[in-house]
This record gives sequence, structure tokens and C-alpha cells, in this order.
Amino acid sequence: MQRVALDPDRLRRELLPIVGERRLSMRASDLASYGRDMWPRLLIGIAAGRLPADLPHVVVWPETEREVAAVVRAARALGAPIVPYGGGSGVCGGTVPVLGGVTIDLKRMAEIRSVDRDSLLCDVEAGANGERFERELNRRGTTLGHFPSSIYCSTVGGWLACRAAGQMSTKYGKIEDRVAGLTAVTGRGDIIHTDGPARALRGPDWTQLLVGSEGTLAVITSARLRVSPIPELRILRGFEIESVAHGVEAIRRVMHRGLRPAVVRLYDEVDTFINHVPLFGRGRGGGAAGDDKGEERDPLERAPEPAAGGGALPEIPPKGDRGGASEGLFGRALSLLSPGAEPARRLAGRLRSGAINAVLSRPRLVNGLAGPLAEKVSRRGCRLIIGVEGARIRTEVEARLVMGELERAGATDLGEEPGRHWLEHRYDVSYKMSPVFRSGLFVDTMEVAATWERLMDLYRAVRQAISEHAVVMAHFSHAYPEGCSIYFTFFAPVVGAEKTYDAIWQAGMAAASRVGGTISHHHGVGLLKGPAMLGEHREAMAILRALKASFDPDGIMNPGKLGLPAALARRA
Amino acid sequence: MNAPVPVAIEDLRAALEAVVGQSHVSRRSLPPRKVPSQARNQITGDDAVRLRRGEPPAIGAAAWLVQPGSATEVAEIVALAGRAGAAVIPVGSGARAAGRDAPAGGRPRLYVDSRRMSHVLHLDETSLVVHVQAGLTALALERILVPRGLTLGDFPPSTLGSTIGGLLAVRTPGKSSARHGTVEDAVLGLSAVLADGRTIHTRVAPRRASGPDLARALLGSEGRLGFITAAVLRIHRRPEARFLAAFALPSLEDALAAVRLALREEAAPAALRVFEGADARAHLGESVCDEEQAVLLVATAGATDLAACDRDLVASAATAMGGAVLDDAVAEKWWRRRTGQERDPQAPPPALQVTAPAGREATVARAVAAAAERLGARARVHVSRFEADGAVEFFTFVEPDGEVAAGERSAAIRAAAEQAAEQAGAILLGSSPPGLEPYERQLERLLDPHGVFDPELTREPA
Repeated sequence: MQRVALDPDRLRRELLPIVGERRLSMRASDLASYGRDMWPRLLIGIAAGRLPADLPHVVVWPETEREVAAVVRAARALGAPIVPYGGGSGVCGGTVPVLGGVTIDLKRMAEIRSVDRDSLLCDVEAGANGERFERELNRRGTTLGHFPSSIYCSTVGGWLACRAAGQMSTKYGKIEDRVAGLTAVTGRGDIIHTDGPARALRGPDWTQLLVGSEGTLAVITSARLRVSPIPELRILRGFEIESVAHGVEAIRRVMHRGLRPAVVRLYDEVDTFINHVPLFGRGRGGGAAGDDKGEERDPLERAPEPAAGGGALPEIPPKGDRGGASEGLFGRALSLLSPGAEPARRLAGRLRSGAINAVLSRPRLVNGLAGPLAEKVSRRGCRLIIGVEGARIRTEVEARLVMGELERAGATDLGEEPGRHWLEHRYDVSYKMSPVFRSGLFVDTMEVAATWERLMDLYRAVRQAISEHAVVMAHFSHAYPEGCSIYFTFFAPVVGAEKTYDAIWQAGMAAASRVGGTISHHHGVGLLKGPAMLGEHREAMAILRALKASFDPDGIMNPGKLGLPAALARRA
Repeated sequence: MNAPVPVAIEDLRAALEAVVGQSHVSRRSLPPRKVPSQARNQITGDDAVRLRRGEPPAIGAAAWLVQPGSATEVAEIVALAGRAGAAVIPVGSGARAAGRDAPAGGRPRLYVDSRRMSHVLHLDETSLVVHVQAGLTALALERILVPRGLTLGDFPPSTLGSTIGGLLAVRTPGKSSARHGTVEDAVLGLSAVLADGRTIHTRVAPRRASGPDLARALLGSEGRLGFITAAVLRIHRRPEARFLAAFALPSLEDALAAVRLALREEAAPAALRVFEGADARAHLGESVCDEEQAVLLVATAGATDLAACDRDLVASAATAMGGAVLDDAVAEKWWRRRTGQERDPQAPPPALQVTAPAGREATVARAVAAAAERLGARARVHVSRFEADGAVEFFTFVEPDGEVAAGERSAAIRAAAEQAAEQAGAILLGSSPPGLEPYERQLERLLDPHGVFDPELTREPA
């Protein structure tokens, strides 16, 4: 895209008095860093040696909401786009400055202003890092209950801007269920407060209109969030169930009885086979499964481990070696592809990766094989992980009811170990991305949702659409009384990837919309799903456009996102 | 595309009849809508007074009552209004002041009554979701759901007389259930007609991340941004078990603390109410407690073990705060009135409703009591709908002779009470955050440049 023409000297002159020399940068290395987030399509390009093309003109690091407002007003006067930036962990290109402009990095506004244990409300600035925020809440006997897999590298503001979800959303809700009010700087440069001190009693729900606006209406600078007391009891179990359809039905029955487990994860047959089925009789999570004798893994590729005292959030791994625990066939394959291996192993790895590549370039074959093969090899159907947590007395009662309901639905109890293993290793997946890319593949995920009535149609339709081009597996999680979310993971070779990538997304989104599902449950829209927004909202886009014109008359706020035009409304 | 052809006022009636049929256009005043007896005592303030007098809104010189039978007809009426320079006023159950006297020579007004659009379009028992037209009342919906073992939720009787459209367009925290929130919180999707006659549908999904939740622009907007024609709502199974309990506590503060304690243990009652002493005695009988005390009532529902557990958690909390268990008959009487099986003889309903932020419930109540006292009256209060955000408080003002304050006197006490409540941090019905006013006005201008949904043209034209 064509960058807006901005005079860098003028830009610097206007912004310097606001943030000062040390909190403003036009250095090439900084600009390059802010030209991307974790969108796999960008990573495909980077892996091929193409650096991000869309860079900001300048990056600033404000420390107060007044500074943010001053920056927005200055940018408005100059006709410069504004792109808010938190952790940069988004997977949809939401922070890519398609027209250049001013990237506002919120991370110097990271204060946890207050945590009130009586009203269970906290006040926190938008740039607060997820992990640090949760730990501080824990220190004060509370939890947000929000555990996205990006928690170590995402911010509160990013969660709110994208309507994020954590792994325990079935109990604690998505981020939009936990927000009691926001403070934000609009595209007009006004500082606004929504729903404070209690919910507004008339008018549009401004909090829910700003949550999910992905920086196109305002920069969120702080939020009041509802916290919960730290759970006194946490119960995790694994179950085996005959098929996806049986598993979905079991979850639906649990939800309709008024029960609210914290964790609900049903893995389809392919996912169960690749990640959960024990090889050579060894159960996943049933004791140390490492087969790499003392092989040292790169610290950057080790997922956090659980803290000694328990708790939901594992610590960042300590220095020193630790035998990597591999999981299933795929995990083993990837560990062999790791650059840390010795030369002979590396060669064997490359050969294997070539073989894997060859197989993966025939995705239909693999997808077709994996299903029945999975059933034949394992004869065990699908894995279901369930977690119940909360205040002690009520949780005991609720857990008994949940497990009873699952068993009545035909699930077989596998005990605590699969559940505990999931809790301890659930962040591992994020550390697999680098080895996947290095092995010549790319991986991405598609998360959609629908009511129960349409859920199996959604599963089949989107799976069908993706499997034309890539190996795909799925799990169902984030259950609600009225429906559920489906999370598809897919792999394909990087060669020719951009075309494949676009084809997969176009087909997947169209399939989701066609059967009445939503195009995104929690990752957001960014650039990636912009083309699908019209199919998702149809005439209701008129409301989004009206909101945009109201909050951002000059069109400077994160242009080109949410399917809105990548153009300023008027020149300064 | 041709510019829309303007319609002259003389031709407006004929044009309306062409859309909905001759029998559904009239110049008569609104026929009084029958308010179900369960609901009658629960409507508060001015609306209640008007309704009880059987007063429909006045219809001025150039005004028609139109009753469309479908969302398509609503769209055509709105488009017609735009071309005729007329204003559209949605009318639901008629409980809300939908019409004010039209100013002489003002724009023509179309009172669009949704009562013919009162069907259930689709009942999805697999997902526990129902798709309804906006003119269906909550009571009529419950009557369809209950025989199937389903329910909209434990909403108070004041909710029942309203149409779904009304409940969604007007945010009333008192019309809510402890577990399920307001009916607005149950919305999974919405259909509405915009001022230009276009129909929008927001996608139905349990949760999404596809931008802002656009339906939230219309909910609570009192019909000024769009005319809600249908909604998709979350419903529930009728609970396996219900339990009731009542406790007398040493003071209002102790009762509120007991509630907070129980909620902290994650008790999830279906309904919860705290009566301050005088209000408790007025509603439940003089023997229930002393004036300085308070009464805590709880109803729990759901899977049997869980409902019993919730009841026990509240009981423990009440005991911990010095409470004593009251006879079953007390809780049962409260519940019969709460579900509309019995009328509360304590008419008229509360004069004032405010939302008190979390932790300030007692402060707000005391501030209002003090304000009433300064005018020589007494304030009685009960509190419900406890959330992290706060709780809803209902006040009744009583003269020294024991009679409930009425007329001008009531208005004066209420005004003073509102001021005191606000100063103590409470939020009044009908208030919105000040800083967002220009954004709301701008949104209205953009979505409704000709003021189709703005009968008094309160804002400057686009």
C-alpha cells in the first residue's frame, strides 16, 4: 500500500514536545520492528527474506493518557494515521501500518492502578503485560481468569481491542464479559470514559462498541476489569469419547444443565491422533515421555513450566538444560527438526522434513488418511479435557455434576493426568512455530463459532474448505450455553504459500459465513479477515461506518482494518 | 438510483394503507393495552400513574396509529416517513411515555405499534435460543416456553408486560434477574430497520471477535438509531429444583455484607433481595423484623445439588453476619409476589430507582433517607440485582402519618432524593456518560440525517 506522504521533520517537531527525545524513534530498526505482528502471512514473507513493507513513519511511547490524546491531536492535524500497538502478538495483521503514520506503543502505560478485593474490580492501564498483570492480581488474592496462549506477550489493551478469549473463558467469560468500563482517546483526540462508576443506564453500550474495534475508533488507554477471587480448588480430568459428534453433545448437555466448567477442550480425531495418542504404549502425560536422551533444547523454544507452588500460570523456564518432553508423533518429528540437533541428526531431520513436505503437499491424502488411520491405530476416538475451578464448596458440587453428566453421555474417565498435563504444557504450542517455519512449512489457525444447532455443519464445512489445501486438525473449546467455538490448525509447505494461504482463508471464511457461523471467535479481524466483514455483517456495516465517522472523522485511526477503507477521510 | 420521491401529507394516509391495509391505519387514540395484573404493581413512577389512569398518549393533528404485520412493512413505513418528512415513534406495550402532545404545525407523526408482530419465528431447543418478533410481550413468550420446559429467565413481573422490543430499546436495571441479567444481556442477534428504510441483521453467534458488537448500538437507544423488529434471545431450561430462604439480620449493612460474602463463594442465586427494616415490615408483615434490622431473601434454582449448595452458601453467609432464619412462609410469600402469582397489597410501587456502585449501597441508601427526612418524610428501601458494578435500590417515600407520599409532595421528595443519591455516587435512570453525548448525537445524525426517529427534532438537522 501507498504510504501517506508525511514530512518527517515536521512530524518530529510536533511529537517531540509531547513525548520527548527518548520516547520517540524514527530509526530504521525500530520502524522495521513495528511493521508486523505475528500474522503468519507476514512470517511467510519474512521466512522468504522479504522484510515487512508497511512501516510507520515514527514510533512513540507515551506514558499518560494526556500524552496519547496530544499525539492523536497532533497526528490529526498532520493527516498522519495512528496505529496503536500493545504486545504485537496478534495473528491478523492488526498492527500493520498500511499507510504508515504514528505507531503508538502503549507498553510504557502499564500501571495497575488499583485492585479492590471487596468489589472485585481493578483499574489497569492498557499497556500492562498479560503475565505480569495476572501475577500481580494473584499476589492480591485475585485472578482475571483470562489465559490466552499469548498471555506472556500480549497486553490488556490488545485483549480489549480484539475481543480476546482465554482458555478458561467458559467459566470466566471472554474479555468483553469482564470489562466494566474503559478510558480511551478517540480519533477526535477526546479522552472518554465509558460506564463509570457503574453501567450507563441508557444509550448505546459504548464499552461493547469500543471492545473489538481494533484501534479503528479509539486508542484504549485503561480499563476497569472484573476480577475473581483466586480459585480455592481446581480439578482437571481427561476423558475419551467415541467421536466429535458425541463429544459435542456431551458438552452441550453439561452447559444446558447450568454447569460452567472453566476448561472444555474436545480434540477431533486427527488432533487426538497427532497430539494425544500414545506411541509404543506410552500414555501422553503418563510420566516422562521424553525420548531425546539428554538432548538440550534452545531456551527460547521451551515453554514455561508450572511454578512449584501450583497456580494457573507457569513460570518462564529457568536457565540450564532440561530434557524436552515431546508429545506424540508430530512433536517428535519437530524435535528432530530442531537446529539444536547434531549434524547427523540434522541431516536425517532434513531428509525427514523433505519427506514430511512431500506428504504435506498432498493434504487431501493426509487428511483422508489421518481420520480413518487415527481410528484404526488408536481405536479411541476423541480426547476431552475438562477443568472445574472456583470457590471450594461450590466447585466440589459442580465438578461432581460435570463428571457425572459426561459419563452419562458416554465419555470414559481417563483420570487426572491428561488434564494436569494439559495445564502444564498448554503454552508449548506457541514455541513450536519457529521450528515449523524452519522445517519449510507454515502453520496457522482459524477460529470460528456457532450455535449448537449449526456447529457440526460449521465443523464439516470449514474443515472441508481448508483440507483442499492443507493438513487440518481441530479442537472445540470456549463452550457456551448456546454454542461453541472451533479452533482449526493447519499446515502446508511454505513454497507457493501466499497463494495457498489466501485461498485457504477465502474458502474457510466463506464456508463459515455460509453455514451461519461467525468468522472469528477471539483472534479478531485485522487485515486478514477484512474481506470477510461484509459477509459477516452485511447491512449492519452501516452502523460500523457510522461509528467510524463519529469517532474518527478524519479516518486516521488504524486505516484499512475491520474491512474499513485504507484511506484517510480528508487531507489535513 | 433515483432520488426518493417526496410524499405529501394528504397522500400519507393512503400510502400507509397501501402498506399495512386499511384496517391497520387509524386516527384514533391508542386502544389501551391490557397490562397483565402481575406487571401492574411493578411499574414505577410516572409511567405507572399514566397507565393506571388508562391514559394513552395524546395524538395530535397530523398523526396516525399504524400496525404493521411484519418487519418488511415496518421498513416500508420508515421509508415512507422519510419521504413524507414524518417522524416514526415505536410503540410497544404502551407503558412507556411513547407519545407526547405533537406541537401545533409540527411534522406528521406515525405511531408504529408492534402488537401484530408478536410471533415466535424459530425456537431452537438444541441451542436454547429463540428468535422472536419485537412486538411479543415477555409474558406471551413465557407462556409459549413454559409448557416446553423452557423459560426466558427469572425476570421480575415488571418485565412481563413489556414487549421484547421495549425491553431491548429501554434499559431498566430493575427489570432483570440475578443470574441472567437483563433481557438485553440475552441478545445474540438483532434485526432492525434503520432510518433510511434498510433492514439490518446482526449475526447470531455465542461470542464473536469480528469488530465491535454492533447490536449494542441499538440496545438501550430508545428507538433513536433504529426500529428493532426481531431479536434472537438466549433461553434456559426450567430448573430441576428451587429453594427459598429468608433471614433477619441486625442491620442493612450486615445484610449487604452477607450478600457480598455469599457471592464471593460463587453462590449464583436466581433472585436475591435485601429489605431494610421498615420496608420489610411493610411488605412482609410487622412480625418479620424490627425497624433497625433488615431482611435477606434468596431464591436458588438449577441442578438440584447446585441449587441446594447455593442456598446453603447464602444461609452460611447470613448466619456469619448475625442473621436468624425466618419462617418458610416469609420467603414463600415474597416469591409468590416475585413471580406474579400474587399481588403485593403494598401499592403504589416505589417512587425512585437508582443504581448504587459496588460498596456504596449502604451510603446511597442512607443519603436518600437523610434527604427524605429533611423534607419530613421517611424513605423505605429494598435492594436487588447485585453485581460487581453495584446494586439496584428501590425507594418508597412515606409521610409521618404512614401514608405513601403522592402528587407534588412525592415529586419534591424524589427530586431531593435523586440529588442526594447522585452526590453519594449513585447513577440515576436515564442518565448517560456526559463525555459521550457528542458521539451519540453524531451517530444519530449519521444514521438518521432527517430525524425520522427524532419526533421533536432535538438536534440540528444534518
